[in-house]
Amino acid sequence: MYAIAIHGGAGAVPRATLSAERERFYRAGLEAALDGGYAVLERGGTSLDAVAAAVRLLEDHPAFNAGHGAALTRDGAAELDAAIMDGRQLRAGAVASVRHIKNPIDLARRVMEKSRHVLLVGAGAEEFALEEHFTLVPNQYFRTAERLGQLESEQRGERVSDLVPPSPHGTVGAVACDASGNLAAATSTGGMTNKRPGRVGDSPIIGAGTYAKNGVCAVSATGHGEYFIRAVAAHHVVAAVEYRGLTLAQAAHELLHVVLRGLGGEGGLIAIDRAGGVIMDFSSEGMFRGVRDASGRREIAIY
Amino acid sequence: MSRPPLPAILALLLVPAWLVCGAAHGAAPPPIAIVIHGGAGVIERSKMTPAREASYRNGLAAALDAGYAVLERGGSSLDAVTAAVRTMEDDPQFNAGRGAVLNQEGDAELDAAIMGGAGPRAGAVAAVRHVKNPIELARLVMEKSPHVLLVADGAEDFALEQGVALVPREYFRTEQREHELEEARRAEAARPAGTPTTHARALSGENSMGTVGAVALDRDGNLAAATSTGGLTNKHTGRVGDTPLIGAGTYASNDCCAVSGTGQGEYYIRQVVAYDVCALVRYRHMGLAQAVHEVVQVKLRHSGGEGGVIALDRAGNIAMDFNSAGMFRGARDSHGRREIAMYHDSAAR
Repeated sequence: MYAIAIHGGAGAVPRATLSAERERFYRAGLEAALDGGYAVLERGGTSLDAVAAAVRLLEDHPAFNAGHGAALTRDGAAELDAAIMDGRQLRAGAVASVRHIKNPIDLARRVMEKSRHVLLVGAGAEEFALEEHFTLVPNQYFRTAERLGQLESEQRGERVSDLVPPSPHGTVGAVACDASGNLAAATSTGGMTNKRPGRVGDSPIIGAGTYAKNGVCAVSATGHGEYFIRAVAAHHVVAAVEYRGLTLAQAAHELLHVVLRGLGGEGGLIAIDRAGGVIMDFSSEGMFRGVRDASGRREIAIY
Repeated sequence: MSRPPLPAILALLLVPAWLVCGAAHGAAPPPIAIVIHGGAGVIERSKMTPAREASYRNGLAAALDAGYAVLERGGSSLDAVTAAVRTMEDDPQFNAGRGAVLNQEGDAELDAAIMGGAGPRAGAVAAVRHVKNPIELARLVMEKSPHVLLVADGAEDFALEQGVALVPREYFRTEQREHELEEARRAEAARPAGTPTTHARALSGENSMGTVGAVALDRDGNLAAATSTGGLTNKHTGRVGDTPLIGAGTYASNDCCAVSGTGQGEYYIRQVVAYDVCALVRYRHMGLAQAVHEVVQVKLRHSGGEGGVIALDRAGNIAMDFNSAGMFRGARDSHGRREIAMYHDSAAR
């Protein structure tokens, strides 16, 4: 059964702070990404194309912490990370700390397909983008008034970004299973508001924020990246399913509510198994998420 | 000289008794051990002169003993792996720190990671160009920042904030590495037209060798792992391999083992090699050597990835395995084992 799941970040999302109008705005963004990705699967496309399409739509949407509307570093610039993984042959591509790539997920995919590398960072990644005929955009493109406001509040010492969704740990991601049973995962983020330039979280690290392995599962995580890196979060789920025979739900639950909670980290993840079964779990107050599959299931949720 | 205090005298009196009791009950003092590697790849004996071989062996022995000395005086495994890796970073023979291989722009671009099995805690840096000992900066990231991975200019900015003096890029360059870069560039110029630049192979001969790493176990039973590298000769600027990625090239957890890898980094990233060794030990209940064998000789080999892995568990079990022609390596522990090896026929017992 083909299916896709997406997330738009996990964190504190108190209902009181999310006006009906804002909530509609977020839901519309999630729906567009979910349906965009699903349309690829519906017309027989690959899971890799589906997750790339869904993540690109989330990157372009200003509400989410990736691409346009990404969280800003302490220097006031957007610095973006992304990764994509194809479960077929464990192929993967990722970029980190890029400042002029409109859709980092597209560059991550290009790294996977056109280079012999998996991860390119900083100016070198942008040099590769130019070699691959990407058009670079000014950093201004990513900045929104809302993110500048959050940065200023954060720098004044207020933790308001915890109250303004998406949370400071927001990230976007997608996992999919196509009609051939191929799994794929993709994740993209601007990282934490007011982060130190050069800080890289779990999103672009294969095994931490992103992993896909045919016959097992595909995982995209969102949360406090440093904890997810130390826990090798995405691969923890894969190993728990593959080596211990846990269900995807058990593996995700153990990671989020036992391992990461033990370390003091919170967040969420979406995962899909080889049969198209989807798990969306989180230890934070909320997670922007959506799932759609060939059986007719289609849902968007926040809390 | 003043008289030693009473507790010290009592302690001295108690030591022999404790040793006797320990022997009587079969309880040995907790083991300490350190294992290092100086890279895996093609080591052709025909190209290895006795002088060069002796020089590599000396370099490995210096790092091994520097790390072991820390453990022997009761130091932490984190201090031991840092000391061993720093020694190899400073030795121009190895592909880390001074003498690191050069990227397409002719610069050394360095990656390093360290992880302590208690916590676990981790720190890493990637694509730095002016940091003399990247392993020390990785450790500062772990200890003095809330982050795990800092890259490029941002990482160097952090170094300056921490009072780490930066060095000019020239510091890292050696004649040997410049010669290797020239060769790689010539090979690339000869590649078929139309091949994307980044497809050009940089992995040839000793160019793929030399990532350095160490794993250690201290008296308190804490494991640690550290890895440092210059990556691939003529690599794309900004290319980051497995070394600084927690779970790929470096991993340590007191729950199972400490692992440091060396080889074709892209394969190590995709297979999350270091963590996979631990997962096989923990979940499939494999012995350490069996888990390392499964990852290096079965999984990596099957996917076409070349390289090796060193690993150590809390019982002091040591594993050193590689599917390449050779791996510079060494091991030393409190059972009196001390060995340095390069080829298969001198593989670890």
